[in-house]
Amino acid sequence: PMTPITPATPASESSGIVPQLLYAFKSRKIWNKNSENIVSTVNLGCKLDLKTIALRARNAEYNPKVRLASIQITCFPPLSSEEQSRLAARKYARVVQKLGFPAKFLDFKIQNMVGSCDVKFPIRLEGLVLTHQQFSSYEPELFPGLIYRMIKPRIVLLIFVSGKVVLTGAKVRAEIYEAFENIYPILKGFRKTT
Amino acid sequence: MPGGGRCPDCGSTELVEDSHYSQSQLVCSDCGCVVTEGVLTTTFTDEGNLREVTYSRSTGESEQVSRSQQRGLRRVRDLCRVLQLPPTFEDTAIAYYQQAYRHSGIRAARLQKKEVLVGCCVLITCRQHNWPLTMGTICALLYADLDVFSGTYMQIVKLLGLDVPSLCLADLVKTYCSSFKLFQVSASVPAKYVEDKDKMLSRTLQLVELANETWLVTGRHPLPVITAATFLAWQSLQPSDRLTCSLARFCKLANVDLPYPAASRLQELLAVLLRMADQLAWLQVLKLDKRSVVKYIGDLLQHRHMLIRMAFRDGTAETEEEKEQQGQGQEQNHGEEEVGDSSLDLRKGKRPASPALLLPPCMLKPPKRICPVLPVSTVTGDENISDSEIEQYLRTPQEVRDFERAQAASQASTSVPNPP
Repeated sequence: PMTPITPATPASESSGIVPQLLYAFKSRKIWNKNSENIVSTVNLGCKLDLKTIALRARNAEYNPKVRLASIQITCFPPLSSEEQSRLAARKYARVVQKLGFPAKFLDFKIQNMVGSCDVKFPIRLEGLVLTHQQFSSYEPELFPGLIYRMIKPRIVLLIFVSGKVVLTGAKVRAEIYEAFENIYPILKGFRKTT
Repeated sequence: MPGGGRCPDCGSTELVEDSHYSQSQLVCSDCGCVVTEGVLTTTFTDEGNLREVTYSRSTGESEQVSRSQQRGLRRVRDLCRVLQLPPTFEDTAIAYYQQAYRHSGIRAARLQKKEVLVGCCVLITCRQHNWPLTMGTICALLYADLDVFSGTYMQIVKLLGLDVPSLCLADLVKTYCSSFKLFQVSASVPAKYVEDKDKMLSRTLQLVELANETWLVTGRHPLPVITAATFLAWQSLQPSDRLTCSLARFCKLANVDLPYPAASRLQELLAVLLRMADQLAWLQVLKLDKRSVVKYIGDLLQHRHMLIRMAFRDGTAETEEEKEQQGQGQEQNHGEEEVGDSSLDLRKGKRPASPALLLPPCMLKPPKRICPVLPVSTVTGDENISDSEIEQYLRTPQEVRDFERAQAASQASTSVPNPP
């Protein structure tokens, strides 16, 4: 039985908050999109006629205008683990097989993971952008959140005044947890209002 | 020379090929008359040895500025002049545009993007000199979409590795406030509406500062809150004549666009002022509302630091549970305050309302939807997938026919021209 991987508590104080992981996946030829996201790819190893698949499969949508021609398949409820994502990918490969294509299941790879959590205190974004300007971009004329580009691990965080944080760009879930543990003490530093 | 050739002067046929300074000439050997002058270039076969280079591959091309870039640089200068920026800004903005143009992605970009790039370079220059120019203003001048501007701006900041300071709120207030046409009597502005510029600026600045302290500015577009603050400042300087004027009408007679969120910012600011007023016994008695509180904005601003400390408690240091408990307790207290006849009050005199949480409005609103906690997954990814389950994902032949028919019908309807 699988248990969720929780970050090991280091000797120093950890945040005690575990980001919730959100998943969806995309295959090189078939695209499965959910409102919350892990993105992964799988190589089905054969040429596909996307129009036929979109016509004959039930929850598929063909979007030829997109640069990388793809089919979107919606998955609900959201996939909550890498294992579920892989199972879903295998099911899609089976659907494609049923439609008559000689699909295999090669090179399944998680491409992106998104996590979200709430530190439960408001954050002075204008202060954070001053002290961490080399990593931060805060343009309230464009977007209400602060975009923080962390270098190690290579994760992008969206930080909002409400204390909600979205982390994206991870290949493995450990990167999400590590990024959050890095940002938490920085955010705590902006906890005082004055 | 073979073939017939006669000297036009003497008629001789003795014409000789000569090269005068390597230019071949046909000369009459009798009278010396130059009959023809050859072309300066050699024959095609000879040229093979000369290694002629096309202009586009010569070094001259890269030293020259392309026409597209020249056009962009002209636009940069034009924009700087329209905005009446100091001359040094022009040079900086030009330099950024040239720097951007060294990147192939920019050179190959569409004209729309290059046009927006002009605005980005000017904006970055202004920000670095603390000149309060908003993206909205630039987009309006360039007739550009803010989304397009946003993408190019973020890209160019990253590409050039620039450090762009934040928009300075105080400077923006001064510039924006000064644009309100309220400082002289005019056809639309009667005498009772005319205001002293310095007084209005000073009070607006204080109100914006108040908004900032009470979490009304962070994460929001800066302009609407300044519009609301300007309006309140103006109203409060002569409330008896101006309370009847609405925010929309105010913007119209001041000849300033009313940004949509300004009305919401106004309500939030008034709510903060009311909480502050509740801390002053002599104002609490008056049972002020969002209209009447405007008359006392001057007094409230004078004591704003103390009043904020009294009216609000730090929302950042509390956990969610504590918030809920105290929130309920506070609601009960508030009820008592409103009734105002509890024995406690009579003994201790009127007490100010218990402090509200100082939090951004988005944290004070109830959550829109409950976020479900996802159950722990025990999936391995290698489970058997049954045929019947896969069948579920395939359309029946009837469904396929229906879908095709629906698609054809919708395509037909979109291709039908509009009736005259």
